[in-house]
Amino acid sequence: MRVFLLPILALVAAAAVAQPDPSPHSDARLVADATRIAPGDTLGVALEITVEEGWHIYWINPGDSGQPVAVDWTLPTGAEAGSLRFPPPSRYEVAGLVSYAHGGTPAFLTEIVVPDGASGDLALTGAATWLICADVCLPASADVALMLPVGVTERTGALDAARAALPTSAADWTASAAWVDGSYALTLNPPDGVSLDGATFFVDQSGVLDHAAEQAFAAEGGAWAVRLAASDYATEPAAELSGVLVAGDTAIELAVPVSGAVAAATPPRPGQSLTVWAALGLAFVGGLILNLMPCVFPILSIKILGFVRGREQSPAALRAHGLAFGAGVVVSFLALAGLLLALKATGGGAGWGFQLRYPPVVAGLAVLMTGLALNLLGVFEMGQRLASAGGNLDRHEGLGGAFLSGVLAVVVASPCTAPFMGGALGFAVVQPAAVALAVFAALGVGMALPYVLLSFRPSWIARLPKPGPWMETLKHGLAFPLLATAVWLVWVFGGLLGLNAAALLLLALVTVGMAAWAWGRSARHGVSVRAKVLGRTLGLGAVGGAVALVATAMAPPQEAWVPFDAAAVDAMVADGEPVFVDVTATWCLSCQVNKQTTLTADAVRQAFADAGVTTVRADWTDQDPAITAFLDRFGRNGVPLYVFFPGGDADPVLLPEVLTPGIVLDAIAAHAPQTASL
Amino acid sequence: MRALSLFSFLLLAACASEPADAPAPEAAPDAPVETAEAPTPGATAPAFTLVDTDGTEHSLADFRGQTVVLEWLNYDCPYVGKHYGGGNMQALQAQAEADGVVWLSIVSSAPGEQGHFEPDVMNARTEQEGGQQAAVLLDPDGTVGRAYEAKTTPHMFVIDAVGTVVYNGAIDDRPTSDLADLEGATGYVTPAIVAALAGQSVDPATTQPYGCSVKYADEA
Repeated sequence: MRVFLLPILALVAAAAVAQPDPSPHSDARLVADATRIAPGDTLGVALEITVEEGWHIYWINPGDSGQPVAVDWTLPTGAEAGSLRFPPPSRYEVAGLVSYAHGGTPAFLTEIVVPDGASGDLALTGAATWLICADVCLPASADVALMLPVGVTERTGALDAARAALPTSAADWTASAAWVDGSYALTLNPPDGVSLDGATFFVDQSGVLDHAAEQAFAAEGGAWAVRLAASDYATEPAAELSGVLVAGDTAIELAVPVSGAVAAATPPRPGQSLTVWAALGLAFVGGLILNLMPCVFPILSIKILGFVRGREQSPAALRAHGLAFGAGVVVSFLALAGLLLALKATGGGAGWGFQLRYPPVVAGLAVLMTGLALNLLGVFEMGQRLASAGGNLDRHEGLGGAFLSGVLAVVVASPCTAPFMGGALGFAVVQPAAVALAVFAALGVGMALPYVLLSFRPSWIARLPKPGPWMETLKHGLAFPLLATAVWLVWVFGGLLGLNAAALLLLALVTVGMAAWAWGRSARHGVSVRAKVLGRTLGLGAVGGAVALVATAMAPPQEAWVPFDAAAVDAMVADGEPVFVDVTATWCLSCQVNKQTTLTADAVRQAFADAGVTTVRADWTDQDPAITAFLDRFGRNGVPLYVFFPGGDADPVLLPEVLTPGIVLDAIAAHAPQTASL
Repeated sequence: MRALSLFSFLLLAACASEPADAPAPEAAPDAPVETAEAPTPGATAPAFTLVDTDGTEHSLADFRGQTVVLEWLNYDCPYVGKHYGGGNMQALQAQAEADGVVWLSIVSSAPGEQGHFEPDVMNARTEQEGGQQAAVLLDPDGTVGRAYEAKTTPHMFVIDAVGTVVYNGAIDDRPTSDLADLEGATGYVTPAIVAALAGQSVDPATTQPYGCSVKYADEA
């Protein structure tokens, strides 16, 4: 700006110099889809920005740099604008950096509901802001306005093209996404005839995907698959990938839940993840093992004997019978899985991929594993009454009857399958729904297989092992891997919350043991009703205790610091009590460092507590005069200041401005009162 | 421990809730194993040697034992203008200097691109903006910018005394060029400096940077 000698001249010059264009290289206007609008009707309004050739403005997620178009509306009372809907963006790459942006004449649409009481003219105004870039970036703004008479609605086609350009919903598409080995695997089933060759998925949130990474869509069978690299700025996998998929002239809005995003932010290292196939195989074997459980094995015999007794049945009928029975078993397992998933859904859908970083879930699983192990060891039993229903197993006629008896078999076997169910549940909880269902189905198939096989080959009955005490032994033995899993979960929990929390969780597990024991004792035959009630009350109480313990473990540590009060400090010192004063301020960096490294360290907190030291925090952020006076007493005019009054009639000790835990511990130890309060 | 749990899984298929990955017991993420890795928090900061506007060479290794802040700079970018125009950047720089932290501004604008100036012009601009950084380093071929995968101006890195990246990302949580957004913004750099001085990790340790794109030379 040149400086003129005469103010008058300056004014003239200012008028002569063109005002800088508030919207460089671009112009904005409002367009409506009606020339007249009735009260209560919805008016389509677009902010249309004409962008000079070679420049671009930014989409919802601008990519590596930029700022999205925004409008701050000023509307008549009662009128409300919906959110701005953006046309699909294009990918702009400059020197390796990628932006998601628009050139040409993009229109950003919204819907405005006209208030019921509107009359005369409707004045719609908005302050639009955007950033426009070529190789340089310039902030731009425009005040846009539109006047529209209120009356009988008269629509125009002014926004038809803009609406047609918007991404459409993916109603006839199916899509799934999974977090696998540190990147996202997106699978899409477009309707027939849509090719995703060379397509781009524009994620609508920053910090989720690497915007510059190549997206190679590949046809796999009837579907298209692409691996999407995660952003370097993501701390954990996203629970959902949402954005716009652009393939040729097609633009689709996608919001795909991400499955299998588990735990740590660091990509899983090879050999650490259990594949879905391995899980299914293991579940299947687990289902087979189920048949060897003491209360399942007899069912096998009963059922098979039932088959054999029906000699009048043709082999084909027998096979159909066996298959129907098997179907009953598998469907029961799936129903259980469905129930589980429904429960899981009520527990909050987002973030289920990160359960093992979420202490309550880890603690819950540890408790579950311990309880199940105790159950396997026979400390307590579950649902014994159900087993008595076994007598009805072979009373049902026809295929429907066979199916029902399959369902019943699952119910009858539940006292022994519960631990397995619990295990499958534990696994399924940290898995996507499809995997959970598949795992339960595999468990069911494993359990049903022997029946189906035997219905095809009745002569094999002779080859089955004899029931006997070995089954009880097997059941007991299976408890130990569960306990090992519980140990591992406690270790994870300790990793998240520290040693003290892990100890509390272990204590909670002991309480679970007590609960199981009390419950088991009360369930024996010949126990009086009063003893039963007492035992169960104790059991439930112990479980409550366990919950409380875990909750304590997860509670943030108690803030032991009391706010500064000069009179209170003086009184305590006069009484010969040990006091430590931390004079600090939020803007004091070394204070914050000392607080983080030393004053909140476990050892230091413990030492203060052991020595019965009252810890006082004097916050000098606002230069409180009382604290200024306290600083003066020690010849200081700044923070940090650490004063330790050892108690008795000992003189106060000033600690250095850079603390280490050792310094504080030494000070406490050197001046500890002879009678440390315990 | 993992083997134990995996073993239990094999023994008892349905009963082991083996996750695909367990959280590490330490808060610090593992350092990446690849060599040409982005300077993610926990990784070793890429070494560099650059000349400042006074012709003095500076290497990252020279500052071992001190906390270092890297600021990607383009004085003509409106986002940078927001932080210098509102006094935010200079205040952070002055505070860093008072705390013994080395603040280096790096210009990766290629010759002919926005933000590239000859050293004397750059010094005049720094004077005009009231910059308090220890030095403005010139990276006209973009080598250091690319090593750090600097995407925007500003783009901030905080490196601790042993050369580990503690923070990589935006300067604050208001990704606009609007001066009014300095008010009430949550700054990410100061907590990262505190964490670096205390030898701890910071949360968030990484955020999506915002600003103008770094005006790199086009890759041949």
